[in-house]
Amino acid sequence: MKVVMVAVALLAVAAPAAAQVDFSGEWAPRFWEDQPERVPGPELGDYAGIPISDAARRRADTWDAAIQTQPEWQCRPHSADYIWRGPSNLRIWKEVDPVSREITAFHAEWLRSVDRTIYLDGRPHPPADALHTWAGFSTARWVGDILEVTVTHLKEGYLRRNGLPRSDKATLKEYWIRNGDYLTVVSIVHDPVYLTEPFIRTTDYELNLRQQIPPYPCSVVQETDRAKGVVPHFLPGANPFLREYAEKHGIPFEAARGGADTMYPGSSRPVAAAVATRSSTTALQTAPIQILPVRGNIHVLQGAGANITVSIGRDGVLLVDTGVAQMTDAVLAAIRRLQDELDLRERPLGFAAETRSSVADRHVEPPAKPIRYIVNTHVHPDHTGGNARLRLAGRTFTGGNVAGTIADATEGAAILAHEKVLNRMTEAGPGQRPAPFDVLPTDTYYTDGMKLSHFFNGEGVQLLHQPDAHSDGDTLVYFRGSDVIAAGDVYLTTTYPVIDVERGGTINGVIDSLNRILDLTIPEFRTEGGTLVVPGHGRISDAADVAFYRDMVTIVRDRIQAMAAKGMTLDEVKAARPTADWDPRYGATTGPWTTDMFIEAVYRTVGRGTTSQ
Amino acid sequence: MGQRVSSTVLAIALLSQPIVQGQGSGRQGGSASPRAAAPVDLTGTWVSVVTEDWRWRMRPPPKGDFASLPLTEAAIKVANAWEPARDTAAGEQCRGYGAPAVMRLPGRIRVSWENDATLKVETEAGTQTRLFHFTRPSSPGKPTWQGTSVAKWEAAGGRRGGAPRGGALRVMTGNLRPGYLRKNGVPYSANAQLTEYYNVVTDETTKDTWLIVTTMVEDPQYLSVPRFVTSSHFKKVDAAVWMPTPCQAD
Repeated sequence: MKVVMVAVALLAVAAPAAAQVDFSGEWAPRFWEDQPERVPGPELGDYAGIPISDAARRRADTWDAAIQTQPEWQCRPHSADYIWRGPSNLRIWKEVDPVSREITAFHAEWLRSVDRTIYLDGRPHPPADALHTWAGFSTARWVGDILEVTVTHLKEGYLRRNGLPRSDKATLKEYWIRNGDYLTVVSIVHDPVYLTEPFIRTTDYELNLRQQIPPYPCSVVQETDRAKGVVPHFLPGANPFLREYAEKHGIPFEAARGGADTMYPGSSRPVAAAVATRSSTTALQTAPIQILPVRGNIHVLQGAGANITVSIGRDGVLLVDTGVAQMTDAVLAAIRRLQDELDLRERPLGFAAETRSSVADRHVEPPAKPIRYIVNTHVHPDHTGGNARLRLAGRTFTGGNVAGTIADATEGAAILAHEKVLNRMTEAGPGQRPAPFDVLPTDTYYTDGMKLSHFFNGEGVQLLHQPDAHSDGDTLVYFRGSDVIAAGDVYLTTTYPVIDVERGGTINGVIDSLNRILDLTIPEFRTEGGTLVVPGHGRISDAADVAFYRDMVTIVRDRIQAMAAKGMTLDEVKAARPTADWDPRYGATTGPWTTDMFIEAVYRTVGRGTTSQ
Repeated sequence: MGQRVSSTVLAIALLSQPIVQGQGSGRQGGSASPRAAAPVDLTGTWVSVVTEDWRWRMRPPPKGDFASLPLTEAAIKVANAWEPARDTAAGEQCRGYGAPAVMRLPGRIRVSWENDATLKVETEAGTQTRLFHFTRPSSPGKPTWQGTSVAKWEAAGGRRGGAPRGGALRVMTGNLRPGYLRKNGVPYSANAQLTEYYNVVTDETTKDTWLIVTTMVEDPQYLSVPRFVTSSHFKKVDAAVWMPTPCQAD
């Protein structure tokens, strides 16, 4: 009896606690499905079998492959959803917890991709406005022997490499199924912007123990002579290649145009098939003020109107913008949380065990230094509304003849801005009163930029004027050590560019600003990471995100400029829907900044400013 | 004659394999019938969602379009001689609807239990019926378009105690009448052997349930690789609609 019990106990110990199929190994893709698309590359105008929206179709119709020659796209890898279909071998390896011996993560890497980590340790997904990447953020769980993977935080990608876009609002479900030495991966893309139904693909790999994935270095070069600021694309209706695929293969042109109906044979489309997709990332943000770490000393506060970028450290606090006035208490509370998290302890000066004790003060930290600088990126109240109270919550350290001459020089933080911000605040528009004294910038510049005259929290801080962009007084704030740019409203991830024409904004100024940001950015790897950009509104970004936005804005500008050149009236331009490809992503029919308002602002200012084609 | 002999040998080999047993640490539930022991429910009506190989699946591909397929010279020669009118005249319109190809054809499929030990798969395309036997047929019979299929459950393994949580169906098919892997005359021989895995996943985002079929065809005569692997996906749909269509040679 005892022997039997011991045997049972040994069996129980040996059995793993959860289903854990091992996917690790070298996997060779089998290209017996869609080989022409996956290896040589898809043909232009082939959208069949993909449940694309009208916006996706319109965008692909105007896509020019030459856009890939831009510096930002030369080293762009396939995204997590497309890489399975790419012409690349796959390596999967695993991480094992040394205590539980459970698999805590799989890593998947292909020839032309970044390493993709799939976490199985129960960690949550990041906040919705954290940086998006090519690989996205993946977690997984076991459903029997199948690994179910959930992917969020994807950068914009493509459904097919012929211009069919997949938006950065998309999420992805994957199911990894191992059948002996074969791996079948089910990939289901949900994209509320460019798909009308989920897009499912299944891809097969075969174990190949002799395979080796070589390195794939990539360097950006000047591929072609092109004027700065030009983004290759076809104007609507001008792409001569769209019918080639259908004609070559004898396929009805309408079928080649794709859409959900083309996935189903004849009348077999399920009645209830058009399920509304949703982005799971949108539900993740719940706190009124959310603190997102950016890099090093830099954080961003979200939920106070505009994004507030915060530099916090031993020198004190620097804020880029102050949000709306009614959120100031919450902003101050968030700053205090950041201050509380600072580790300001220092070894006692001249410490030596034989002569001095550190016991007395080891549990006591010195107080954090206050808000010392506020930078206003421009004049709008969602960026300056907290100026008065946040300034007064801070302090300026000065003395000597400055304090002697200016009695209140030490009261409150300094507010830095371009001179035109001050001018706009102090001028009274029709029916308006000038802004009260407490909200006004205290230190302005009128040239193309200024620097803090000394390091702050260990790095240089540079203010770069962007003329005639979102307004006439825009400033980029560049944290040179952290390598973070606070862009203000010249760059947004939530809407089309807001152009305040009455205050000097122009479409070309916005495009110039976006290109200026790209000039400053250096990616960490494959147009990802590296210099980070905090938009005026929306999620933390990098060069690729800004480049996607720059491409979109430039293409829309070019379209409206061409329409205006043909003599079309504003109403005719609006009716032509020059933004239709991006409306599900950036457009609005209600609210403070509608698509019509954007089109009108472009129409009114196209040809003005500094950039023109 | 040589093909017929090979086919029979394969069929015998196929049918001599264990049928009702789990693989690895899977379990079959003792004496429970295959139906009662099913670790996953495959029954219902499913519609193929054609997002891959569209131009070859959603319309009869033109003669000579063999892209994506790993074919031998012999296969290419046969395919280049394809004459759909000849197939029609010979009463062989269903050559493109055999087991190695039928799951790739567009349309609905209906999965149900024929009896406690036989799973039935009906297809709208070509109005075909496949029978997956969990108990060994007494004899393979003569070759047919759908051949003779034996099935076994592969329950999800690695768990301690309790009922299996999920699993897959493995189906092996032989005893096939020669047919077309692609409807434009790309052949498979009577020697062809088919292995399929049936898995079901549910997308929690939309609550859609998907049937995933991984198909491996072995046919040294006409395939230049040991195994030709594809995977197909079907969405579970309302069972009320069922519109079978006859076989067509083109």
